[in-house]
Amino acid sequence: MLTEFHDALKDPAAYGKRLKEEGGRKVVGYFCSYTPEEIIYAAGAHPFRLFGAGDGIHLADAHFQSYCCSLVRGALEGALAGRFDFLDGVVFPHTCDSIQRLSDVWRMNVRGHFHLDVVLPVKLNTDSAKAYMTDVLEKFRNDLERKLGTSITEDGLKKAARTFNDIRGSLKRLYELKSENPGIVSGADLYAVVKASMIMDRDRVVRLLPGVVRELEKRRGTGEGEEGKRLVLAGGICNHPDVYRVIEEAGGVVVWDDLCTGSRYFEEVTEGGGSPVADLAGHYLARPVCPAKHSGLYARAERLVEIVKEKRAAGVVFLFLKFCDPHSFDYPYLKKALDEAGIPSMVLEVEDRLPSEGQLTTRFETFVHMI
Amino acid sequence: MLTAGIDIGSISTKAAVLADGRLLGSRVIFTGYNSEAAGKKVFEELLEELGLLASAVRRIVSTGYGRSSVKFVDKAVTEIICHGTGAHFLNPLVRSVIDIGGQDSKAIVLDEHGKVKNFAMNDKCAAGTGRFLEVMANALEADLDGFGEMSLKADRPAGISSLCTVFAESEVISLIAKGESRVNIIAGIHESIAARVSALANRVGIVPPVVMTGGVAKNAGVVKALEKKLGVPIEVSPFAQVNGAIGAAIIAAGLR
Repeated sequence: MLTEFHDALKDPAAYGKRLKEEGGRKVVGYFCSYTPEEIIYAAGAHPFRLFGAGDGIHLADAHFQSYCCSLVRGALEGALAGRFDFLDGVVFPHTCDSIQRLSDVWRMNVRGHFHLDVVLPVKLNTDSAKAYMTDVLEKFRNDLERKLGTSITEDGLKKAARTFNDIRGSLKRLYELKSENPGIVSGADLYAVVKASMIMDRDRVVRLLPGVVRELEKRRGTGEGEEGKRLVLAGGICNHPDVYRVIEEAGGVVVWDDLCTGSRYFEEVTEGGGSPVADLAGHYLARPVCPAKHSGLYARAERLVEIVKEKRAAGVVFLFLKFCDPHSFDYPYLKKALDEAGIPSMVLEVEDRLPSEGQLTTRFETFVHMI
Repeated sequence: MLTAGIDIGSISTKAAVLADGRLLGSRVIFTGYNSEAAGKKVFEELLEELGLLASAVRRIVSTGYGRSSVKFVDKAVTEIICHGTGAHFLNPLVRSVIDIGGQDSKAIVLDEHGKVKNFAMNDKCAAGTGRFLEVMANALEADLDGFGEMSLKADRPAGISSLCTVFAESEVISLIAKGESRVNIIAGIHESIAARVSALANRVGIVPPVVMTGGVAKNAGVVKALEKKLGVPIEVSPFAQVNGAIGAAIIAAGLR
């Protein structure tokens, strides 16, 4: 059932290349879940999320200091090594400082495809944010039309919103099923579905996901009765499927997350009612924020505590990329909010590879025992 | 009922045997290359020393980084939990444990029952660990067992600013070349470890009474430097190095 998702993740670049050659479609790479994928899709192109390299970073070290996160360094590594040569363009949303510098370094050192910045607003809860966001997305639409030599129609945008709403809705349903019956699917499998949904052909994804939902619904009640301690994983992107296995082996189970490769991506859908671009702007304002955006001083902490309570979790595991400063800046106040609510937590800092498994296991086993 | 705990660390392997909550004996050997063999060996040697047969021991718990490599035990439990249990057994009033082992250091906060309330672990590098001391002893051509005593004679501890073990070793070599006294360098090394470990301890928010466990606790210089940095007295039991094994043996007694 999940083979197709796992296969796509084995070599995402090969998948993207094949999609381009066989489907004749243009492929547009992007960083971060704040990229308005719907507009890329509505342009008839394929939105392809870029992740870190995962197998050693050497070339990028000539351009970035070691205080940049491994996602940013790994992505540049992939580009400099020619692994992203098949891309027709790359989109950089204005989120954290490192992504913006990545955009600059990329523009100067990586040739062969177009380059677009999407300068999103930072404060999303102000009166002017909606108009600002709508303008930015309208500009992105015009830029893309020019770069791809196509026109993006209102109907195309509406269809895109529907497709991505369906994908987000299915992913959310899968999370709910897992949360209610943790034993029916492994954390690593569910992670693969979410991540592959940001890489694979969305027309294919939107058709496959309801089948996965049906299969998991069928497995309900037949699960092995997984009795692990219920945990919430919180942080930036998760590029480490092994984390789920190590947590499960230590006696825990991830029942929800606050990740941009997770619930922050699918939690909200695009509501209709206005012009298609304004509706999309509404979505990107309403979705749960990451620490590079602002939607109220305590919004992130309140949401995290709410997730823990609603999902009846016993604790939170923070998963941070080393040197991810937005997440590190938010951590003390998130931790304080959890402490005040009596929710235990631990931090795991990772780079492109996980720390030595022995020590990782020691920390997870102790944490699971402690809570 | 006889129970045993086996703590397989990165540098040394420890065993302890308890009879109904009373410590019968303990033993320490080097771990070497094969952690499974070390676990087996220390257990057999301790049994021989105590004149016991393996069949007399009802339950065994293993701990330490090599805890999963031994197959003859009833359960494997992390060394953080075992150090907490061991420290509580030796002194029920203890609320915090600082464990400096061969390859990592840990700060553990306990509740009144000896259960882990919070912990932090330095698992990123060798700074602030037993391995760091070994490297420095080598650079100084000094006997590690005498480190503690020697550092207490220092009049002005040398400043060592590098966090990295390899760079700190170069710093020590430069200090030797500059003619700095050995005792001051050793005291500086201890202060550098104390700075690392106290940062860890402050992060979890340790509460007194504090006890120090692990092999490095045998070094009075590190204990003194850490007391100064943290501003609280630190207790060291004569069983500091086998504390994890004792904790494992206690947990073994509670197994059903």
